[in-house]
Amino acid sequence: MLARIAHELFWLGRNLVRAEHTARMLDGVFSADLQGRPDDPNRVTLGWGSILAIMGGEVDDVARVRRDDVLSSLTLDPDNPTSVVSCIGRAREGARTVRDVISTEMWEAINTTNLTLLEGDLSARLRTGPYSVYQYVKERSALIWGTTSRTMLRDEASAFLAAGGRIESADMVLRMLRVALPIQADVEDVGAVRDGQAIALLAAVGGVQAFRRAVPGQPNALPVANFLLYERAYPDSVAASVESTLNVLQRADSSPRASEPILRLSRLGADLEFQARAEGGSRDLAATCEAVQQELARVDQDIADRYFAGAASPGVVTSSS
Amino acid sequence: MPEPIIIREPTVYRPSPEFFDEVFAHGGMPRDYASPLVAELHRLGPEQLASAGRRRDAIFMQQGITFDATGEDGPVKDRPFPLDLVPRILPAEEWTHIKRGLAQRIRALNHFVDDVYHAREIVRAGIVPWKLIVSRSHFARAVHGIRPPGGVYCHVAGCDLVRDADGSWKVLEDNVRTPSGISYVLENRVAMTRLVPQLFQHYRVRPVDHYPQLLLAALRAVAPSTDEEATVVVWTPGSLNSAYFEHAFLARQMGVELVEASDLVVRDDVLYMRTTSGLERVHSVYRRLDDDFVDPLEFRPDSLLGVPGLVRAYRAGTVAIANAFGTGVADDKAIYHYVPEMIEYYLGEKPILDNVKTYLLSDPEQLAAVLPRLDQLVVKPTSESGGKGVFIGPATPAEELEALADVLRAQPEKWIAQEVVKLSTVPTAGVDGGLSARHVDLRPFAVFGETIKIVPGGLTRVAMVPGSMIVNSSRGGGSKDTWVLEDGMDNDRAEPTMAATLPPALPDLQYGSEWSGQQQQQQQSAEDPDIGRDVRAPCARTRSAKPSPLGEV
Repeated sequence: MLARIAHELFWLGRNLVRAEHTARMLDGVFSADLQGRPDDPNRVTLGWGSILAIMGGEVDDVARVRRDDVLSSLTLDPDNPTSVVSCIGRAREGARTVRDVISTEMWEAINTTNLTLLEGDLSARLRTGPYSVYQYVKERSALIWGTTSRTMLRDEASAFLAAGGRIESADMVLRMLRVALPIQADVEDVGAVRDGQAIALLAAVGGVQAFRRAVPGQPNALPVANFLLYERAYPDSVAASVESTLNVLQRADSSPRASEPILRLSRLGADLEFQARAEGGSRDLAATCEAVQQELARVDQDIADRYFAGAASPGVVTSSS
Repeated sequence: MPEPIIIREPTVYRPSPEFFDEVFAHGGMPRDYASPLVAELHRLGPEQLASAGRRRDAIFMQQGITFDATGEDGPVKDRPFPLDLVPRILPAEEWTHIKRGLAQRIRALNHFVDDVYHAREIVRAGIVPWKLIVSRSHFARAVHGIRPPGGVYCHVAGCDLVRDADGSWKVLEDNVRTPSGISYVLENRVAMTRLVPQLFQHYRVRPVDHYPQLLLAALRAVAPSTDEEATVVVWTPGSLNSAYFEHAFLARQMGVELVEASDLVVRDDVLYMRTTSGLERVHSVYRRLDDDFVDPLEFRPDSLLGVPGLVRAYRAGTVAIANAFGTGVADDKAIYHYVPEMIEYYLGEKPILDNVKTYLLSDPEQLAAVLPRLDQLVVKPTSESGGKGVFIGPATPAEELEALADVLRAQPEKWIAQEVVKLSTVPTAGVDGGLSARHVDLRPFAVFGETIKIVPGGLTRVAMVPGSMIVNSSRGGGSKDTWVLEDGMDNDRAEPTMAATLPPALPDLQYGSEWSGQQQQQQQSAEDPDIGRDVRAPCARTRSAKPSPLGEV
């Protein structure tokens, strides 16, 4: 298939997943923020400053970060490239470019989502009850992916779409882990301080019940971090995302044994599996997360090199046409 | 001083001076802790409140949070659980008082259960008559002499509290069998944060969502010792039970199996559940059905909901049951009368929470005093729950009271009489969003594992009919989210300080449209093994760059 199309699909997947993760995260933190106080161990404390940090913003003074600013800029601000509405907007533009490859139903689902998010009454809803806005994004995201799996041919195109989605998913979860649960080997009492954050984090990725069913212990910092990093049975864990990225790329690549990104991904998957089994998870989770994220950045570059390098920039193509 | 806003409105909220109103003091001024709420409700206005109410019903129907009730036109199936959007606020010091009182009461009740099935010291001390205890329908001879791990019988307890006209808290009923309603406490809170988040903004409300963890920890704490984590199950009578929603909710929240009798089997005095990979040992059971049905070999032989041999396994100590068998004897309405004396006898303390004045009709003198005053008293059957068979004197026609008097004379030991409590009122939103006073009670939930832990607040039940004091959900009552405030309330909510440690710097997010520029960078640094450490550098530009050149076409 065309390298340009593959690239568009890859980023379509990334943008869709980023929008959903951002919405879930904001929703989780918002509802947690309404009750309790920060030093209560039962309280959920993934804070607003943390969100900014996760989204790659500069945070100099965490205490000064205000809820309403974060909510509005990361949700409906079209000038902020990290906002949900920008992600969906980019996804929509990407989908428009590849309308011939994706199914009509997918295009409609994506386009409708974009149109609704641009309507004015959403900002009023964000002020009175952000839940409904995030619920909408979550539902539409499920609809888009559901429609995809039902109507799109499982060819190379769908493989690149899925690869983008899964790699973004792993990246977002790693970002949240690194900010919310920076567990380092030299910290004596891992549990006490960050336990509240652990539940918030689970809620923010939508994995509270999955955790409760999979892990017999309490949702404390260490088990939660291990779960989100290593638990392959949980679809949004880093290990599961790495595994499915690997699977779809193997499907798409004509000679997978010679493919750099595939080799990298299988090594990364095996590493994660080995750590989870042989060592019962890493003690120095902060370092592990950082290493995994760096490795994923390399995978991302390898993918660009191997599959997209033959294409001219889509920006150039469209502006000259 | 905030202005008494609502009393100037056309829809005048007038609490009756006869009752204690928890939001407005006499004269229509909001109480201190309630004034930010009143101001926010005013800002919201009846229209928005009504529309939030419609959204609430839709959401509850979608999520299947429903309750079967008996209305005026017979049974109503599957109606959305009635949550009133005006919360009930309990200041911190009020809650501390309630919490201490409840913990004390539950400790005493637990002592009592232990005593009844062992030494019977309280009987020998002449405080509670043995004849009364053995005649209770929930007295369980089968568990005589069994002491569960840690001596805990009442793992889960919920006492019904009311607030009298002078504002003092009183215990109306104890419930140490299978109190229900905790799922609604948790769901109500979630719904409130979604529907009316603006009401929260001047308060710091203590969270309630850790209840499932408390319960799970308690169930594990009392389980017989095992090498691995103890296997805990929730045992439901089945999906037709009116509280099935709650059973499933708790199992889901705790991440444990929800089992029915047919899933359980006892072999050699050990309890197992049938799984796809054979029998699996069960260490701890949170059961949600009455003693009568749990084991046809020891209790009702005709029970199809029970597990034969379960009591034997329990006696052998291979399985923990919460609540323990036989606890029903402690929450009988005739035993209720003796709880303050129990507290003094077992704990040597003064009761923190008072009983409502109660008359035992088995005592001929008290019966004689009660009979002429039936129209001023509440008469309850001793072994019923859920408000069934209760006669409220002032609201009952004279001929029914005469018939009741005959029944009382014939079977006095099956009834008690209580003074009418003037339940406190809280403003409650009607369908049109207008506020009016409704009577409320409070059922806090306690979990007794290694220690007694009580979830802040509890289920506030509201009588939805004006003037009515019947709050039971099964009789059409509604509920409110109950907010226990943090100590040292401040109207200016402090921003979270938890994340004061600076988060680690993460690589910036990448945007696909910058790919060609990045790609060159990537190719240049492809030999550099440390490229990942440098992810910030190429992306720093993307933040100022336009998000998507494609958007300009």
